[in-house]
Amino acid sequence: MNRQSVIYTVIFTFLVSFVFVFILAFANEGTRELVAINQKINRQRAILNAMNVQYSGDEDVLKKYKDVKEVTRGDVTFYTTSVNGEPVFAKEFNGSGLWGNINGILAVNGDFTRVVGMEIINHNETPGLGGRIDEPWFKEQLRGEKIVDGTVRVGSAGDGDTDHDNGMIDAVTGASRTSDSVEVILSKELSVISDALGGKS
Amino acid sequence: MSAPAQILKENLWTNNPIFMQILGICSALAVTNLLSNTMIMTIGVTFVTAMSNLTVSLLKSLIPRKVRMIVQTLIIAFYVIIVDILLRAYLPDISKALGPYVGLIITNCIIMGRAEAYAQANPPLISMWDGATSGFGYMAVLLVIAFFRELLGFGTLFGFQVLPDSFVPWTIMVTAPSAFFFLGAIIWAGKTIMNREGAPA
Repeated sequence: MNRQSVIYTVIFTFLVSFVFVFILAFANEGTRELVAINQKINRQRAILNAMNVQYSGDEDVLKKYKDVKEVTRGDVTFYTTSVNGEPVFAKEFNGSGLWGNINGILAVNGDFTRVVGMEIINHNETPGLGGRIDEPWFKEQLRGEKIVDGTVRVGSAGDGDTDHDNGMIDAVTGASRTSDSVEVILSKELSVISDALGGKS
Repeated sequence: MSAPAQILKENLWTNNPIFMQILGICSALAVTNLLSNTMIMTIGVTFVTAMSNLTVSLLKSLIPRKVRMIVQTLIIAFYVIIVDILLRAYLPDISKALGPYVGLIITNCIIMGRAEAYAQANPPLISMWDGATSGFGYMAVLLVIAFFRELLGFGTLFGFQVLPDSFVPWTIMVTAPSAFFFLGAIIWAGKTIMNREGAPA
C-alpha cells in the first residue's frame, strides 16, 4: 500500500492515536484508586495539620481523622474535633493568589480568640517565591496566633514572626503579591468563620 | 571512536542540547532554583527523550511523511502523561512539588529535536541511546545551574542547610533572571574551552 496516500495516512493516524490513548486510559484507570486514596490522605492530613493534631504516617492519619466530625453552622461546613480538651473548628478555603487559586484549611479555636493553624492543599504560586507560603516556617507563624480586630495581618517581609500575640505574621521576601493575597484570604475567611460561629457563642 | 561513545561525547559536550543547540531553555530557567526539583525533572526528560526516540525509530518506516511531526508529538505526549500518572500514583509529594512542570516536558524542544533529527533516520537502539545521552547533557547543565541557584538563593543543597545562618540569601537567584546569567556564563565558558581545543564551534 502506498504509504503517502491519504487513506493510509488517515488509517495510520487513527490506529496510532487509538493504541496510545487506549494504553493511557488503561494506565489511568489502573491507578485511579491509588490516586484517590493519595488525595484523600493528603486532604485529611491538611485538616489534621491545621488543627494541630499530631500523627505519624499515612495509617495514623486515617485513624486520627475518625475523631473529626463535620458540622454545619449557617452556610459554612466546619471540621471539628477537640485537641487537648479544647474544641477546634477548621474550614476549607479558596482564594485567589498571584497566579491562581489557593486552596487550604484554616482552623481556629472554639472561642475564636486564636488561629490554631493553616495548611495549604494546593496553590499555583511561583516556586521558591510565593510558593514558600507552603513552607513550615511560614505556616508555623499562624500556629496559635492571636486574632486581633477579627483578623491576622501580614506585615513586612521577614524570617518568620515568633510573637504569637500581636496578630501579625511576616510576609515572604520577594513575594509581596502572594503575601497580600494571604492577608486578604485570612481577613475574609476569619470574618466568615466569626459570623458562622458567632451564632453559637 | 565507536558510535555510542561518539554520540555520548557529542550530546554531553560538542553538541550539548543546552549550550550548543540552545534548546530546552524554558525549563532550564523554570525548574533550576531547587536541586531536587531539577533532578526529578531532568530524569523525566531523559526517560521521555529515550523512550520517544526508541518508539519513533521503531515506527519510522510506517509513519507517512505528511503527519510525521504530529505522530512524534503524540508519542512524546504519551510518555509524558505516563510519567505524570506514575508520579501521581506512586510519588504524590513529588508530583505536588513539580505541579505543572511535568506536563510541560511535552514542550521541551530537545525531545522533538532528537526525534526529528536522529530517531527518524537511525535504528531503534542507537536512537534510544541518543535520546538518553541528550537527556544527560541537559541534566548536567541544569544541575550546575541549580547548584549555584539553590546555594546562593537559599543557602541549601538538596534542601540541606550548607551555608551559615548569617548568609543573606540572594533573592534574584530564586527568580528566573538569574538562570539567564548562569546560562549565558555556561555558554560562554563552553564555547571558549571548545575554541581552545580547536573543535568546530
